[in-house]
Amino acid sequence: MPAAPADLQPLMTRIAAGDRAALRQLYQATSAKLFGVALRILSDREEAEDVLQEVYVTVWRRADRYDAAKAGVMTWVATIARNRAIDRLRARGPMAYAEPVEDLQIADGGPGAEALLEAAGDAARLQGCLGELDGRTQAVIRTAFFEGVTYEALAHRMSEPLGTVKSWIRRGLAKLKGCLER
Amino acid sequence: MSEPHELSELEALAAEHALGVLSARERAEAEARMASDPAFAAMVEAWRGRMTPLLDAAPEVEPPAELWPRIERRLPANDDVRAVGRLRFWRGAAIGSLGLLAASLAAVVFLASQVTGLQTPVQPAPILNASLTPGAAGAQPLFVAAFDPQRQALIVTSLVPPGADPLHVHQLWLIPQDGKPRSLGFVEPGASRALPMPQTIAQLAAAGTSLAVSVEPPGGSTNPEGPSGPIAASGKLTPI
Repeated sequence: MPAAPADLQPLMTRIAAGDRAALRQLYQATSAKLFGVALRILSDREEAEDVLQEVYVTVWRRADRYDAAKAGVMTWVATIARNRAIDRLRARGPMAYAEPVEDLQIADGGPGAEALLEAAGDAARLQGCLGELDGRTQAVIRTAFFEGVTYEALAHRMSEPLGTVKSWIRRGLAKLKGCLER
Repeated sequence: MSEPHELSELEALAAEHALGVLSARERAEAEARMASDPAFAAMVEAWRGRMTPLLDAAPEVEPPAELWPRIERRLPANDDVRAVGRLRFWRGAAIGSLGLLAASLAAVVFLASQVTGLQTPVQPAPILNASLTPGAAGAQPLFVAAFDPQRQALIVTSLVPPGADPLHVHQLWLIPQDGKPRSLGFVEPGASRALPMPQTIAQLAAAGTSLAVSVEPPGGSTNPEGPSGPIAASGKLTPI
């Protein structure tokens, strides 16, 4: 069973002090989640394994930079995993242009099955707020988030002017923030 | 529904950086801004916090059992750990960089002024900074650095996009008057680091002293006398 978030914080202090056993505990508590994240982004087991290795080596090196006041441990490590996976995706180069956005993403309408299955409050709230955006904006934001696709690549994929895609996303993010703050 | 509020230009940039839609160049600029502008860095962190719950939608998948031993073999000795007080200071400095550095220096000056002793307060040596650029004049810096004489440490921020060159490391050198390079440590692409300097090296840092970054194999230069790889960028320390 994954450890509760509160249990992870003391591990970070120990990891920063060079305690390998603490890193192993963090690995046991978080690796299934992070492997899932890397697989979701990369759709490739071998690459996801490489990313997972990089993530924990990074955590080991940078544990002293973890600041509990700024982010929960899970958010911190999940962000590292996402960023590393996206770095890999970007390194694949032109592949990033391969599939049109519509084919990859959920259809218009409510937050979808993903959100209904969601237990955690934050995630459900975010899914709910994303669900309030129009289908196209939702799809673009999700694609950008999970694939690290730049404005330029998004515009190319959607055959829309860059300025248009940019204003969709900016408006969508403003609405999202408004909704999350309600 | 009421009119959704607009994001300020700065917050929109923070949100775009957290989302990951910026180009490589814009990302590097945003990283640099995060290092020098704590308010902007906080906005980016807040947006990361807003978006990260999306990752919860990814199902948990147990990684293969042999993965942990592979990770353990790759762990370097954790040489980043210093005395606790210093660690706390740098944890903030590495994120907030120059703003916090200036604030901490102000605190040091303030504390120094509280100590009334026999000697007159000594004017603290100024912070020196440097922009490290590739050869050509007018080129964009690849690294920015600040030397804090009070703390005897150098804060350096890499503007190289993360993941740009996973096969090499970037090693920072101080090249004082005597022309002999002294290694200060490594700087990961896209990261900010505080590199503590031994007294013997810190006393060599002065206005006009050169800093350089070389591209080296993992583990660093193979040449005990100095860099073994090409110099990616260099610059001189100057008072702020």
